[in-house]
Amino acid sequence: MSDATPARGLLRTLRAILGRSYPRIIGANRDKSWLFYDTVLPLLGTIAFVYVYKALGAPERFVGYVIMGGATVAFWMNVMWSMAAQFYWDKQGGNLELYMVVPCGIPAILLGMSFGGFVGTVIRAIAIVAIGSLLFNVNYSVSQWPVFLLVFGIAIVALYGLGVTFASLFLMWGREAWHMANLFMEPVFFLSGFYFPVRALGFWAGMGASLIPLTLALDAMRQLLFPGTHPPFLPLGTELGILAGLALMFIVLARFLLKKMEYLARREGRLSLRF
Amino acid sequence: MEAANRPRLANGLAHWWRTVRVAYWLGWQVESNWTDPLLFFIYSIARPLGGALILVFMYLVVSRGGQGDLLGFFVIGTAFWPFVIAGMMGMAWGIISDREHWKTLKYVYTAPISYRAYLVGRSLAQATSATAATAITLLFGRWVLHIPLHLSTMDIPYALVSFALGMTSIMALGFVVVSAAMSISGEAWRMPEGVGAALYLVCGAIFPVTVLPAVLQDVAKAFPLTWWLEAMRRGLLGDNTVRSFPWASDARVLVILAALTAVWVAAGVLIFSYAERRARVLGILDRESGF
Repeated sequence: MSDATPARGLLRTLRAILGRSYPRIIGANRDKSWLFYDTVLPLLGTIAFVYVYKALGAPERFVGYVIMGGATVAFWMNVMWSMAAQFYWDKQGGNLELYMVVPCGIPAILLGMSFGGFVGTVIRAIAIVAIGSLLFNVNYSVSQWPVFLLVFGIAIVALYGLGVTFASLFLMWGREAWHMANLFMEPVFFLSGFYFPVRALGFWAGMGASLIPLTLALDAMRQLLFPGTHPPFLPLGTELGILAGLALMFIVLARFLLKKMEYLARREGRLSLRF
Repeated sequence: MEAANRPRLANGLAHWWRTVRVAYWLGWQVESNWTDPLLFFIYSIARPLGGALILVFMYLVVSRGGQGDLLGFFVIGTAFWPFVIAGMMGMAWGIISDREHWKTLKYVYTAPISYRAYLVGRSLAQATSATAATAITLLFGRWVLHIPLHLSTMDIPYALVSFALGMTSIMALGFVVVSAAMSISGEAWRMPEGVGAALYLVCGAIFPVTVLPAVLQDVAKAFPLTWWLEAMRRGLLGDNTVRSFPWASDARVLVILAALTAVWVAAGVLIFSYAERRARVLGILDRESGF
């Protein structure tokens, strides 16, 4: 007999979300190697790009761009490896079959993964920004904190919506999932302007890249962090509006694809396809 | 019985070479047969090309469209770095995936083959997958960015010797990383990535080591990869590049690269032998570390 009270409806969903986020918030911090790798690996890449700008003799604000890009890398890696490709790992570990039979359903599991992943990553991203800024003496002047937090919040919703969308697509795959997550690293860092202003790509390429929520989110946050010096891609209000639209679109798309792909995966027997 | 009549050394070498070839074939299958050739080709070039484009746009944003020697520096670095990722980190991922994903390590290890030859074959297979990225990046640099990569100004023999030494040193470093992967108890699969990121920072892959703090410049000098990339730049770009070691002549760069390669090969063999023996003594050769 379990001590837990049987829950239904929203309460059950909330419990499932908290339960799935627990290993990501608490469990991940118990293994210090994860903390080290999640913080130090993006930081090493970030420092390398800082030195590129130093070799080029770039103005100081570019160092700030790179450090923000490094923090964003932590979020993107979390979304690709711990959201999109997570069901691949779960297939390897045998958890996916369990998720399929628990009464809360897959959406609650994914929401828990998103929430836990976000909390875990935001701590690492703050560490990257703090260490990077201290190492290279970068100053930020946020003029509108509420707008900054609004941009960040909407971007996170859109980003994890994209993560759930990818997770449902990756549900069908075996080894391809790992390779696809790998594929979406440097090309996305490039298209989203992780290390340079996205305006440099040109209008249409930038608009295409804006399908990735981080593109406009980074540009909007840079406008707020470096007012007057950052060359904006679009006006701040427009970027905020598009981001909100992306967040809504990815939530709806994720919901639709999850149902569709779960059905296909069950029908084609791919839920337990390990390799 | 032709084989029986051959000298013992020749037989050993033939056996070693056969293991390398079979391991190469196996590694290639593992690397490439998850998809069709076109997607595999796109997959092979997308990441390195994305990395090169990041640097190109960083350069263009700062130089406002100007042209300079640092652009060639970026192109050569990003073109050849995939060999490090594939050859060195790939060797480590090979053993980790054999051990923890495919669960075949114990069968491979107990087969009557040289395990070192097997690892070299797996590493070469990974490195082969990097050649497409290297070629595309160089072509992109030559024809799109107009980097002075002209056959007439290249020192081809110098570049070829440097490349051979570089590949040897990559595999030597791979054996060191594999040794670490055999020894650590948790999350071994992330360790090669950490080593790769650290080397990317200190080895002058994307910027001249002269911009690093003095202490890191000394660290950079200890790795053959730094000298290899410097030699490749000198061999392919001649005088049209920024140099990590402006005080060293071309010949001196090559001699130091050869010496460091020899040192790291010896270190790789010794460290791997120690790690292998230790793993067998402790019974941790096929211990899973949370893949």
